[in-house]
Amino acid sequence: MKSEKPAKLKEIYSSDEQNIILDSIADGVFTVGKDWHITSFNRAAEEITKVSRKEAVGQLCKDVLKADVCESNCCLRATMKTGKPIVNKKVHIIDAEGRKIPISISTALLRDSKGKLLGAVETFRDISVEEDLRKAIHAKYSFTDIISKNHRILQLFDILPDIATSGSTVLIEGESGTGKELFARAIHNLSPRKKQPFVAVNCSALPDTLLESELFGYKAGAFTDARKDKPGRFRLAENGTLFLDEIGEITPSMQVKLLRVLQEKTYEPLGATESLKHNVRIITATNKNLDELVRDGSFREDLYYRINVFKISLPPLRERMEDIPLLIDHFITRFNTLQKKNIQGVSEEAMSVLMSYNYPGNIRELANIIERAFILCKGGLIEKKNLPENIFILKPDHDENEVVSLRDAEAGYLLKALKQNNWDRLKTARQLGMHKSTLYRKIKSFGIKLPS
Amino acid sequence: MKVALSVFKDSISTVFDVSQQLLVLEINGAGEQKRTMVKLETIDPIRRASQLSEEGINVLICGAISMPMQASVSARNILVYPFVRGKVEDVISAYRYGKLGQAVYALPGCRRRGYGGSRGRNRGAHHRWRG
Repeated sequence: MKSEKPAKLKEIYSSDEQNIILDSIADGVFTVGKDWHITSFNRAAEEITKVSRKEAVGQLCKDVLKADVCESNCCLRATMKTGKPIVNKKVHIIDAEGRKIPISISTALLRDSKGKLLGAVETFRDISVEEDLRKAIHAKYSFTDIISKNHRILQLFDILPDIATSGSTVLIEGESGTGKELFARAIHNLSPRKKQPFVAVNCSALPDTLLESELFGYKAGAFTDARKDKPGRFRLAENGTLFLDEIGEITPSMQVKLLRVLQEKTYEPLGATESLKHNVRIITATNKNLDELVRDGSFREDLYYRINVFKISLPPLRERMEDIPLLIDHFITRFNTLQKKNIQGVSEEAMSVLMSYNYPGNIRELANIIERAFILCKGGLIEKKNLPENIFILKPDHDENEVVSLRDAEAGYLLKALKQNNWDRLKTARQLGMHKSTLYRKIKSFGIKLPS
Repeated sequence: MKVALSVFKDSISTVFDVSQQLLVLEINGAGEQKRTMVKLETIDPIRRASQLSEEGINVLICGAISMPMQASVSARNILVYPFVRGKVEDVISAYRYGKLGQAVYALPGCRRRGYGGSRGRNRGAHHRWRG
């Protein structure tokens, strides 16, 4: 017995020391025995997988890591089989909260001092930031980059593949900051044209003459300083997709030219004598109501029908409030990795404020609010004091001079109270001094949709 | 009613997003009627959800599933039991007797997201297997 105790203590100390060393490593590290069961799991591994050490140790590594290669091309298995290490292989895992995370993994064999095989070790690091940057550079966005559980967006997800494969012209309507370009890129990346270029043009950024040469290009000598041919965006997008943003801003003369290009599938570069055929899919977007522009005569009806083969209307953020916590979580994760911070989330009070604001700038504005809070918040939770003052002012949803019915006023008041209380019905009922069942009845009778 | 299990060999496949096979059970009032294996054709979330819908699946029991994939499947009115693990026969039996909520069938660290974890319109719904 005497000799066993110090040996056991030594084992414990050595195991603790090992954990301390492993926990000091920034990369996720775990070891497995020859039976694929995890024998150690460090702190970084806990953070990346969202599985605690207590829950991970003793489990099969595939059940903990949940990587896309676990069943088809397991790296540890390959290393155990060949004895060769694997270095920096990119795979995706799904963490315990359902997030898909790109990681870079390396594997090696574990042997004791006598060279006897003990198992293997895997180190991995979260490469979300690199992936985000790569996506931003190559703009390879898919619909999985659109974060939403809103029923209208989910319905769009359902029809997106059919729209993408159809090749038809698509019109995307939505307020500024609702993600029109993200949807356009997702359609392109789901379409058979995905390997061809996606070219985006902001029509409101350029005056008419420049827009024409930008879209159709010009021939050498077309105007002073046109020394050589310049291909236009149509040429650059050949066989791919051309995204015309702010289509509602183009002038009547440009509308005529664009109509011809869409009808005849040909265009003429400035100074050219012959028309060129094109094979370009057009996706347009606007933050205006084109129906109204057509009615008041500032947008050609024939062009409208030509671009409006399929219309997607993106809801503003204030109509998809249930997405706000998801989006906040997404932005916090992104800024934590980008700025090497460890903000845990948003306090309950701050969340109430964020849920009661109506976001005229939509998702872009929410991202800016969180980015600003990151400057002021040093750690822990984002508090009310870290939020900009302007979002504390509750803007009326309607003109104050406008007379509304008592029922509408009551419904509006109820909605505002629910938003302020982060959709917590019990809290709202308490605040309004009514019984919870009365509140439920009113919610039902006013047809207020609560975020699930 | 059709219940689909995402399978790899004789177990629930670890990651539904990349799994390749479904075991589909057809169940009616008299119990289990038929078993078929279905090959999943794509890893694209929308198309994968669309295939499940075309197969007439009502319930999906699977391993780890990413949020976009789960949202896509749930949007098709399919009840999802995510983050499940175990041998196929054990999981079928647990589903049959309403025991999928037991810790032994949840992937490590995922118990909160496991049983009946389908968010959104199917929340709280539970298809009972009678017979």
